Amino acid sequence: MKWQLRKPSVLPGFGLTLGFSLTYVTLLVLIPLGGLLLYTTKLSWNEFGAVILDPRVLASFKLSFGASLIAAVINLFFGLIVAWTLSRYNFFGKKIVDALVDLPFALPTAVAGIALAAIFASNGWIGALLEPLGIQIAYSRAGVVVALVFIGLPFVVRTVQPVIEEFEKEFEEASTSLGASWWQTFSRVILPSLMPALLTGFALSFARALGEYGSIIFISSNMPFVSEIVPLIIVTKLSQFDYVGATAVGTVMLLATFVILFLINAIQIYSREKSL
Amino acid sequence: MQTEHRLEPRWLKPLLLGTTLLFLAIFLALPLGVVFSEALAKGWKVYWASITEPDAIAAIKLTLLVVLITVPLNTVFGVATAWLIAKFEFRGKGLLITLIDLPFAVSPVIAGLIFVLLFGSQGWFGAWLSEHDIRIVFATPGIILATLFITSPFVAREIIPLMQEQGKDEEESALTLGASGWQTFWKVTLPNIKWGLLYGVILSNARAMGEFGAVAVVSGHIRGMTTTMPLHVEILYGEYLFTAAFAVASLLTLLALVTLVLKSFIEWRIGKKRLLAH
Amino acid sequence: MSIQISNINKRFDNFVALDNINLTIPDGELVALLGPSGSGKTTLLRIIAGLEEADSGTIYFNGEDTTATHVRDRGVGFVFQHYALFRHMSVFENVAFGLRVRPKATRPSEEEINERVHKLLKLIQLDWIANRYPSQLSGGQRQRVALARALAVEPKVLLLDEPFGALDAKVRQELRQWLRSLHDEIHITSVFVTHDQEEALEVSDKIVVMNQGKIEQIGTPEEVYDRPTNPFVYSFLGNVNLFHARVEQGSLHLENTELNTPDLGSSKEASLFVRPHEIHISIDNALGGGIEAKLIGWRLVGPRVRVELETVHAHQKVEAEISKGEWQAIKAHENDTLFVHFSNARIYTNEASWNDYVI
Repeated sequence: MKWQLRKPSVLPGFGLTLGFSLTYVTLLVLIPLGGLLLYTTKLSWNEFGAVILDPRVLASFKLSFGASLIAAVINLFFGLIVAWTLSRYNFFGKKIVDALVDLPFALPTAVAGIALAAIFASNGWIGALLEPLGIQIAYSRAGVVVALVFIGLPFVVRTVQPVIEEFEKEFEEASTSLGASWWQTFSRVILPSLMPALLTGFALSFARALGEYGSIIFISSNMPFVSEIVPLIIVTKLSQFDYVGATAVGTVMLLATFVILFLINAIQIYSREKSL
Repeated sequence: MQTEHRLEPRWLKPLLLGTTLLFLAIFLALPLGVVFSEALAKGWKVYWASITEPDAIAAIKLTLLVVLITVPLNTVFGVATAWLIAKFEFRGKGLLITLIDLPFAVSPVIAGLIFVLLFGSQGWFGAWLSEHDIRIVFATPGIILATLFITSPFVAREIIPLMQEQGKDEEESALTLGASGWQTFWKVTLPNIKWGLLYGVILSNARAMGEFGAVAVVSGHIRGMTTTMPLHVEILYGEYLFTAAFAVASLLTLLALVTLVLKSFIEWRIGKKRLLAH
Repeated sequence: MSIQISNINKRFDNFVALDNINLTIPDGELVALLGPSGSGKTTLLRIIAGLEEADSGTIYFNGEDTTATHVRDRGVGFVFQHYALFRHMSVFENVAFGLRVRPKATRPSEEEINERVHKLLKLIQLDWIANRYPSQLSGGQRQRVALARALAVEPKVLLLDEPFGALDAKVRQELRQWLRSLHDEIHITSVFVTHDQEEALEVSDKIVVMNQGKIEQIGTPEEVYDRPTNPFVYSFLGNVNLFHARVEQGSLHLENTELNTPDLGSSKEASLFVRPHEIHISIDNALGGGIEAKLIGWRLVGPRVRVELETVHAHQKVEAEISKGEWQAIKAHENDTLFVHFSNARIYTNEASWNDYVI
C-alpha cells in the first residue's frame, strides 16, 4: 500500500485547515510547552533533585496530591448521588439545580475562592456554625479540600449522568426477577456499568484539582510546609525570578498531568471495547 | 411511572434527594448568595462606586480587550480545526486532537509559566526582546497569549463532536449540486453547527474573562495597567477591601449565570442533547 | 404451576391498558399473548411477573394469591425483549447470577453452581462460549443465554417478552422451533408476548388474542385461526378480504349477486370475511353467482400466484391467492373482466353472530 497522508476526499479545505491548525497549535501550544521541557535541560540531575527534594517543595507536593485525592473521592461519592438524583428522580426546581451543577465551570476561580473563604471563615455562614465545634475550614488544609471539591464537582456528575440516563431499566428488572436484593442489584449490576464513567470523572476531577490555583490561594493560609500548594510554589519561585526552580516543579506537574491524561484515555478505550 | 413495583427501597429517594440538595446548597448556592450579599453589604452606593472607580474601569476595559482579541481568534481556530478533524481522515489526527485538548488539562499556572520562560527577562527570547524594547510578560501581550492558550480548546471541543456526528453527506451533496467550497461551508455546514458554535464562543468568553492563574503569572499585577477583573478582585481582597472585591466579583458572577442560562437555552434549542461544559 | 388471572385492571393516566382481564393458564402449557401494539399484552405479562402493579385484581400461582409478592420472591423467569444480559459479566456469570445472589443459607456451593450452569448451557447448546461476553455473541445466542439465565433460578413460570422481536427472520425461525422443543423437554408453564401471528400459531399450545386491553379470544392455534369469534380476530390472524353487504328478507346482496341466508333475518348490515386462498377466479362464471371484477395485476409468490382485482360495481379491491395451474388456465390480461367466487366466507352481522357459507 502506498503511504498516504490522508484518505482521498472530495471536500475542499484540507490544506488550508491543516496548515492553519498546525501553525496555531505549534505556536501556541507546542513551542511554549517545548520551551518548558527544554528549559529543564538547563538543570543537571542534581540541581533538579535539589529543587524537587527541598522539604518545602515536597510538603507542597504531598498537600497537592493528598488534597486533590481527598477532594476527588468526595466528588466521586457525592457526584454519583447528584448524578443519580438528577437522572432518576423528578422534583421541583430540577432544571435549575441541573443547570447550576455547571457553575464551577463558569464561575471564575478567583470569585469562587473569595466566596468560599467568606462562607467558611470563622464569621462566615457556615464557618460560624462550625467554630463552636472547634472545626476550622478556611485558612487551613481543610479549606484547600473544600475549594477543590467545588472546582471538581461537575466532572463526576457530568460524566456519570448520561450513563445513568441511558442505563436501561431492564437490567435492574432482570436482576430483581432473578432474586437479587436492591443492594445486590446496585453493587453487582449498576455500579460495574457506571465504573468507567466514575473513574473517568474521578481522574478528571483529580487532574483539575492538581493544577488549581485561583480558588485555593484565597481560602488557604498559604503557609509553607502546612497549606502551600504546588502551583503556589511555582508562582512564588517565579516572583523571585527563580526560573530554574519554577521550571523543575512545573515539569513534574506537567508529567503528572500527562500520566493522568493517559490513564483517562486508557479507561475510555477499555470501556469502549467492553461495551461494543 | 410510579405504578411500577418498586425496584428500590422507599427510603432511597428522600435520602439521595436530600443529600443532593444539601451538598449543592453548600457548594453552589451559598457561594452564589455570599457574593451578592457581601457586594451589597454596604448598600448600592458603595457597590456602584466600587465598580466605577478608575482602576476597576481600567480592569474591565483590559478584560474586554483580551476577550475581543482571544475569542475571535479561537473561534476561527476552532472552526478550522473542527472541519479538518471531522471531514478528513489523515495521519496523526489522534495526536492533533491530543494537542488541541492539552491546554485544557495543563494547570493554569503552568500556562503562565511557559510564556514567562519564553518571553521573561531570563526566558529564551528575553534578551532579544529587551534589546528591542518589546514587553510581552508583565504587559498586555502576555495576558493575551496566556488567555489564548487557556481558551484555545473551547470552541473546537464543542463543535468537533457535533460535526463528526453530522458526517459529510450534506457537504458532499452540496458539492455535487455545484456549490463552491466556501458556499458549502456558509450555507450547509455553518447552519448545522451554529448552536454548538455559539455555545463554544460563550464558554471561551466566560473563561477568557475569568481566567486567573495563567494571567496572574504573566501580568505583574500593575494596578490600572495589567490587571484584569479577576486580578483586580485579588488586589482588592488582599487590601481587605472586601466589599469592593465582592462588587467586582459580582459582575463576574453575573457573567457566569448568564453563561449557564444561555447553555440551558441552547440545550433546549438543539433538543435534549447535553453540551460539554468544560 | 398454573396461573390464574382474575379481574385485572390497569390504567396509565387516561389510557386503559387492561380492562378486566380474566384468564387461566394451565400447568405446563406454552401460551402466546398475541395482539397489536398497545393491546396490553406486555403490560399483562409484566403484571404476572410482578414488574408492574395492577390497579385492581388478583394473580394466583397454583391457587395462591401472589399479587402482593415482590418480583424478587415471585419465582418467575423473565426474558426481556432486548435480553438485558449484564454486559460486564461473562455468559457463565450471567447464568450464575441468580444463584449467586441467594442468601447464604440457600446459596448452592461453587461446585453446584458450576455444574448447574454448565448443564443449562448444554441445554441451550452454548456450552462452548461460557467465557465470552455478551458483546461477543450473536443476537440468537444472546437470546438463548437470557433464557438459560432465567431458567437457572428454577422459576415456577417462564415469561418471555417478544422473545424473538429483535432477531432477523432466519434466526427467528430457528429459535421458534428450538423454543417449542425446549418446552416439550422441560414443560414449564410459559407465557410469551408477540405481535407476530405466525409465531403464535407455530409455537404455542394456546393463543390469547388481545386488543385494546381486552381478550378477544382464547383457543388453540387451530381454533383461533379457523374459527375466529369476531371480526378483529379474523383480520388479525392472516390476510383477509372484507366485503360489506346488506341482508334483506333472507337474502344477502353483494355487488351483482344474491345469496339465500334465511337464518340471518332481515334489514341488517353484514360483513363478509374471505381469506385470499378461499377465493377462486373464473373467466366465464360457469358456476354462477360470481362477482364481476376487473383484473388489476398479479405477482408470482413461490408456487402460488397473488392476483389483485377490483369489483366492477363497488370498486372494491380483492386479493386472491391461487395455484399456478389455476392461474395459467385462466390466461387473463390486465383489465379483463373476471368472476370471483368464494369457497368459504364468514359473515358477521351487527349482532356479532357468525356463519360459514359457501357462495
